[in-house]
Amino acid sequence: MSEFKKFDQKNWVKTNLNYRKDSGSWAWILHRITGIALIGYLFLHIYSLSPLSQGRAAFDTFVAKYTTPFFMVLEWLLFAFVLFHSLNGIRVVLVDWADGARYHKVLYKYSVVIGTILFFAMGYIMFAHEINKFFAG
Amino acid sequence: MYKHQHSTSSGSFSWVFQRITGLILVVMVISHYILMHYTPESGHTYDAVLARMQSNWYRVFDLTFVVLAMYHGLNGIWGIFRDYKLKQWQSVAIIGLLIIFGLAFTLWGIKTILDIPYVPTVSS
Repeated sequence: MSEFKKFDQKNWVKTNLNYRKDSGSWAWILHRITGIALIGYLFLHIYSLSPLSQGRAAFDTFVAKYTTPFFMVLEWLLFAFVLFHSLNGIRVVLVDWADGARYHKVLYKYSVVIGTILFFAMGYIMFAHEINKFFAG
Repeated sequence: MYKHQHSTSSGSFSWVFQRITGLILVVMVISHYILMHYTPESGHTYDAVLARMQSNWYRVFDLTFVVLAMYHGLNGIWGIFRDYKLKQWQSVAIIGLLIIFGLAFTLWGIKTILDIPYVPTVSS
C-alpha cells in the first residue's frame, strides 16, 4: 500500500520550486501573479481617479504625474499583465468547458505568440511619437 | 468516508461565475482600452472626462466594470487562499478583510463616477 507524501506546508516554496513544470504549471503560476497584480492595480486605479470629485484643478495636477515616460513604461507592463491574464483566462475557460484538456499545450503556445505580438504592437502605438522621432534623427 | 457536499456550499456557483465574469471582463477590458485611448472622446483631462460622462452609457459601463472587476479579483484572491489549509478563524478573517476592503473601494469608485456633474453645455 503506497502512501501519499504529505504536502509540507512549511516548505511550500521549496516544494513548489522542485516540482517539475510543464507549460500548464507556468500558466498557473503566472495567472496567479498577474491576477494579484491586477487586483492591486484596480485598488490603485480607484484611488488615483478619486480626485475627480475635487474638480478640474485638483484632477489635472494629479493626472499630470501619470503622463511621464516612467509611468508610460509601467502602463506598457500593465498591458502585458492584462494580456497574459486575458489570454490565459480564455485558455482556462476552454480547458474547463470546451474539452481544452486535449489541446491546452497548443493553446498556451498560441496565446504566448499572440500575446507577444500584441505587446509589441501596443508598444509601437504607445511610443510611436518617440520611435518616429528617433528614426527621423 | 467522503462527505457529500450540497452544490450550494461546494463553491460551484463561484467557480462558474468566475468564468462568466472573466469572459465579460475580457470584452470590457478591450472596450476600455479602445474607449480610453482610440475614440474621439478619449483623453484624460478633467474636461475630457466631464464630456465623456455626459453620456450615461459611459457611466453604466464604468459602474459595471468596477463592480465586476472587483468581484472577480477578490474572488480570485480568495481562491488562492482556499488552496491552503486554513483554520476557521483565518478563513473568516480573510473573507472579512476582502469584503470590507472590496466594498469600501467599490463604493469609493462608484462615488467618484456619480460625483461627476452633469453640465448643460460642454464644448466637445
